[in-house]
Amino acid sequence: MTEPLLEGRQLRKAFGGLVAVDEVSLQIAPGSAHSIIGPNGAGKTTLFNLLSGRYRPTSGTVWFKGRNITKLPVYQRAHIGMGRSFQITNLFPQLTVLENVRLAVQAKGNDSFRLLRRVDTFTAPIEKALEVLELVGLRESAALPASVLPHGGKRKLELAILLAGDPEILLLDEPTAGMASEQVPELMATIDRVRRDGGQTIVLVEHNMNVVMSISDRITVMHLGRLLAEGTPTEIAGNTLVQDVYLGQLYDLSAGETPQS
Amino acid sequence: MNSLKSFLKRDGWMLFIFIGLLAFPFIVATLTGSSPTGVPRGDRMIMRGESVRWQAVLIEVFILSLLAMSYNLLFGFTGVVSFGHALFFGLSGYIFGILLEYTALDTGLATGLGIVLGIAASGLLGLGIGLATLRLKGVYFAIFTLALAEMAYIFFSRLQLTKAEDGFAIGELPVWLDPTQSRLTFYYITLAVFVVGFLLLRRLMASPTGAVFKAIRENEDRAQSIGFNTLRFKLLSLVIAGMMAGAAGILQVMLNKKVGPEMLGLTYTIDPLLMTIIGGTGTLLGPVIGAAGLHLLDVGLRDQVIALGGASIRIADVWGLILGAIFILVVMVFPYGIVGTYQRWRLKRQHRGDPASAATSRAARRQSG
Repeated sequence: MTEPLLEGRQLRKAFGGLVAVDEVSLQIAPGSAHSIIGPNGAGKTTLFNLLSGRYRPTSGTVWFKGRNITKLPVYQRAHIGMGRSFQITNLFPQLTVLENVRLAVQAKGNDSFRLLRRVDTFTAPIEKALEVLELVGLRESAALPASVLPHGGKRKLELAILLAGDPEILLLDEPTAGMASEQVPELMATIDRVRRDGGQTIVLVEHNMNVVMSISDRITVMHLGRLLAEGTPTEIAGNTLVQDVYLGQLYDLSAGETPQS
Repeated sequence: MNSLKSFLKRDGWMLFIFIGLLAFPFIVATLTGSSPTGVPRGDRMIMRGESVRWQAVLIEVFILSLLAMSYNLLFGFTGVVSFGHALFFGLSGYIFGILLEYTALDTGLATGLGIVLGIAASGLLGLGIGLATLRLKGVYFAIFTLALAEMAYIFFSRLQLTKAEDGFAIGELPVWLDPTQSRLTFYYITLAVFVVGFLLLRRLMASPTGAVFKAIRENEDRAQSIGFNTLRFKLLSLVIAGMMAGAAGILQVMLNKKVGPEMLGLTYTIDPLLMTIIGGTGTLLGPVIGAAGLHLLDVGLRDQVIALGGASIRIADVWGLILGAIFILVVMVFPYGIVGTYQRWRLKRQHRGDPASAATSRAARRQSG
């Protein structure tokens, strides 16, 4: 196997007495789309936050491109090529859609301490931001405040902010959360297109089984803070253990149905 | 030519007000038949007459505007709530006063050095406070700054060297600067400092750095996750705001020719806060309008007496009560402050008639309501 792009080694996270993630190791291969699934409370969001740097692990290490990044602050992770999205929509609500994306472009450059030059004289970040908005289909809304976008638009903006930073790896925390089901395919198509164009690696935490099964190359299943199984979508769908603890009661994977939540 | 035209269209009214402020001492002098430079007596000038009196009022407005603008930079633009803003104001005032009164330096040198050291110390204080506490979130940072300002207040209230609670008077300033001698010059100096401060702040908020400040106010977590070291930007904002408040403190000491612990008191934290909120948090003009409005009201009403049955009440004695009432009223009528509410209203009017943006402004109302 080629060297993993992102790797967690024996990750463990305890909140007081509650062990949310218990000795989990996982490797994300470059260029893959890797989903983390599991029933509620399985610890997948905690694992995600350990990988993205929001939480420090109680023990264990996180590696990115062969470098130990366990203690690297969140803001520096954006500079080495990691971008994360949030489960709850997490924007700059009163700023315009364009400004939301432009800031992410600016963050990667060296102009943030130019105190006395007008921001609109830096045209390259504005153009880049408009390009990204075009890609996710929000170009027309560029001048609106982010807060007035409909929910689906906010999720797209979330993705645009992420892409504006040119990440090598996209960590997506339930990108379709709260979306009307008819909007989901459009967003997923966008993610898929972006990935094919840019060759990014994707780590996905997602509840929507249709999404997981269609987009993933690999799936990691978690249960009670531990790693239960890992494999291709077909292997996971056929794994009886997985079906017993998680999927069997709610989903029929072979039929690819989505639960009503 | 075109850029001049667009400048006049956009900023013409500000230029108009600026010219009005330049002419103000002479307008008042003409209207009231007084001298804009005071009345000569021997080789000294006596500050008497309506023109010099109103100059003092406007000088106070400029100083309070600077203080409120600096508070707004932190609170309104960067989203950092400090309850210790008087610290910068008073500390630089003390440094300036001590250099003038308690060192053997020549007056001119002490003045120059006092300005530089006072402002530098305010910036350093901002840096120090920031490094020690900006990792604290929201209310904890506010409480810490409050405690620090109160400690400084108590310290200088007890310090015998600087005459404790009474504070000390500044005996001598360079004559050309002294508001009791050359008030007209001092008027133009404070006006210049105020205008330069305003323009610098406006440029800063239009710069990439200002964009990051606003991003931090909107959502600090997100600003970090897209790659900004937000602590560094908050420190920068605190240092700039500290230096601006420090400059205001020095001007205040020059105007009153006195330094006392009241400059470190809660009033000089609460007043700029109220002025900012009433004028419009996170707007450039709001703090100026808040400062001018509140101070002119204060001056206009200070000596009025209202008869209530048999009792007569001097407005000055119940000013705090009136301030509170104004605050409640303004916040209810203008939920985003005077300037902020006006801006939203204008935005909504611009979008009227265009169905797509009408929906947008409806959504904006829902959001804000």
